[in-house]
Amino acid sequence: MTPTPLRDVYITGTGAFLPGQAVGAAAMEDHIGRIGGRSSAIGRRALRWNGVETRHYAMAPDGTVLHSNASMAAGAVRAALDDAGLGIGDLRHLATATTQGDYLVPGHASAVHAELGAGPIEIASYQSVCASALMAAKGAWLQVRATEADVAVATGSEFSSRWFRPGFYEGTALVDARGRVRMEADFLRFTLSDGAGAVVMEPKPRPGGPDSSAMSLKVEWIDLTSLAGSFDPCMWAGSTFADRADMTSAWSHTGPGAAHASGSIALLQDFDLLKVVIRAWIGVWMQKVDEGRIVPDQVDHLLCHYSARSLREEIVAILQSTRAMIPEARWFSNLATVGNIGTASIWVMLDAFMKSGRARRGEKVLLIVPESGRAMVGFMMLEII
Amino acid sequence: MKAEGVMFETSVADTLRKLTVVFADFEQRLESTPLIRKLTRGRFELADYHAFLINLRQQVKDGALWMSRAASNIGEAHLELRSTLMRHAVTEHRDFRLLEADFVQSGGDLETIRAAPKNVGSEALSAWMFHEASRPDPFGLLGAMFIIEGLGSIKAAPWGRLVKDRLNLPDEAVHFLLYHGENDAEHMAEFERMLAMVLPDPAVADRIVTCAKVTARLYALQIEEIGA
Repeated sequence: MTPTPLRDVYITGTGAFLPGQAVGAAAMEDHIGRIGGRSSAIGRRALRWNGVETRHYAMAPDGTVLHSNASMAAGAVRAALDDAGLGIGDLRHLATATTQGDYLVPGHASAVHAELGAGPIEIASYQSVCASALMAAKGAWLQVRATEADVAVATGSEFSSRWFRPGFYEGTALVDARGRVRMEADFLRFTLSDGAGAVVMEPKPRPGGPDSSAMSLKVEWIDLTSLAGSFDPCMWAGSTFADRADMTSAWSHTGPGAAHASGSIALLQDFDLLKVVIRAWIGVWMQKVDEGRIVPDQVDHLLCHYSARSLREEIVAILQSTRAMIPEARWFSNLATVGNIGTASIWVMLDAFMKSGRARRGEKVLLIVPESGRAMVGFMMLEII
Repeated sequence: MKAEGVMFETSVADTLRKLTVVFADFEQRLESTPLIRKLTRGRFELADYHAFLINLRQQVKDGALWMSRAASNIGEAHLELRSTLMRHAVTEHRDFRLLEADFVQSGGDLETIRAAPKNVGSEALSAWMFHEASRPDPFGLLGAMFIIEGLGSIKAAPWGRLVKDRLNLPDEAVHFLLYHGENDAEHMAEFERMLAMVLPDPAVADRIVTCAKVTARLYALQIEEIGA
């Protein structure tokens, strides 16, 4: 018996869904709400550091929900299928990624499938932070590659802003007696926003041939490296800052009321650890360069879920002196205008790239998605066909 | 001449990249040691700081000594490297006194830190460094320097700040950690110049990376042994 051969897989469509109007820096704090009615002490610094100018929110300033996480994901799936010239009826495998779905249970893929209203299909829910986009992509890629499905979609979607409403912080241990919010909690409020992205994968490129303007992206490989074995949580929700490494401190163990009061429900970031985690990402990157998995000179376009400007000087210096840097001119990013949308970012960025007119057949596109969560980084190498 | 320049630079860049990968792995090992876990998880006590200083002192004291020995084994073809190592040794050979001062400033007894024996990891690290330094043209030790100096310039100050905050100590009691690793960019530039003095040479490049790996493992063992 001969084994079934693996198939080459192509991204044949990309889609993005951004809720509401773009919100500028001046209006954003009033949009998500001021904690205790006060201005944030670190908001402006956070905005300068992340370089985001405009972003989108799925919740209006008065708390009205415009879209759910699932409906944004479904919107991106429809856009991606449409871009590929396909419809909902063609979909066979749906792989979703999000940091936190609308419900705790069941999985996000069920909610997105329900929103799409598609018939019986296979689904998979991937959950982490930013890098879960590539977990879903790897799942979808292998489904098509292994002949399990002919049309698979991978999504990434986030509705972060609902977590940033003042009610998630007020009256908890995250706000001190003088009304000051812990920086570890406040920073992310100025960093993350809402939206969704999706890619369609098929075992053949988009029809039309080389003369057509319709390009596809051949998926060469997807690598994910988790370093959770060495690191405590760096970005998390579910425990306090002090007890973040102790899984028995989980919010569900103490119950929702006590967990809220202790500040265990909000998203938190450990900045000291983040610096170490960034070096760990760079270490993984350099190893890939060293092994020849990635040849920086051969990457025509780098789409990185991280702003080149946010990399500290010494990191850029070491990348340059080890010949592992991809010159900033080859970085494509729309982070500044669409915001940091967590796991949705990389697909929203890829969608903008494919529609930017920059893509040329034969060029290599490298996607990089670092995740501080518990130290992870993912890479996806594509060739424009 | 130009082609040679490019080869030099490539060889230095390749080695530096491999060293950076080794350092990243080293840093992750350190993060998982009981002592550093205590520090980053807010469980660090004065006794832990004292144990840390006692155990660092051994290695810091030996540092300038193995560097001097290495310098004395560098042949005439590399006099500039010999000079650089000698300068390094002179700069650092009294640094262990800073550790002693920190120990005393934080309430420890000078005799305690001076009389303390090396832990298992420190014994292994020290034996390894002197062994390597005793070889003719011990260029592999550049790898060891990358690890140990990288620790000084990247890890020491953040650890120092955590220690200071956690234990509510004055700067004078955390002097070594807080101020040892200044001038990071300058250190790095000097290190690249040192690599360029012995590269390109594939065997030397391999030895430098191997030395970095061994030194990193033994250094991590030294930290693991503290309070274990």
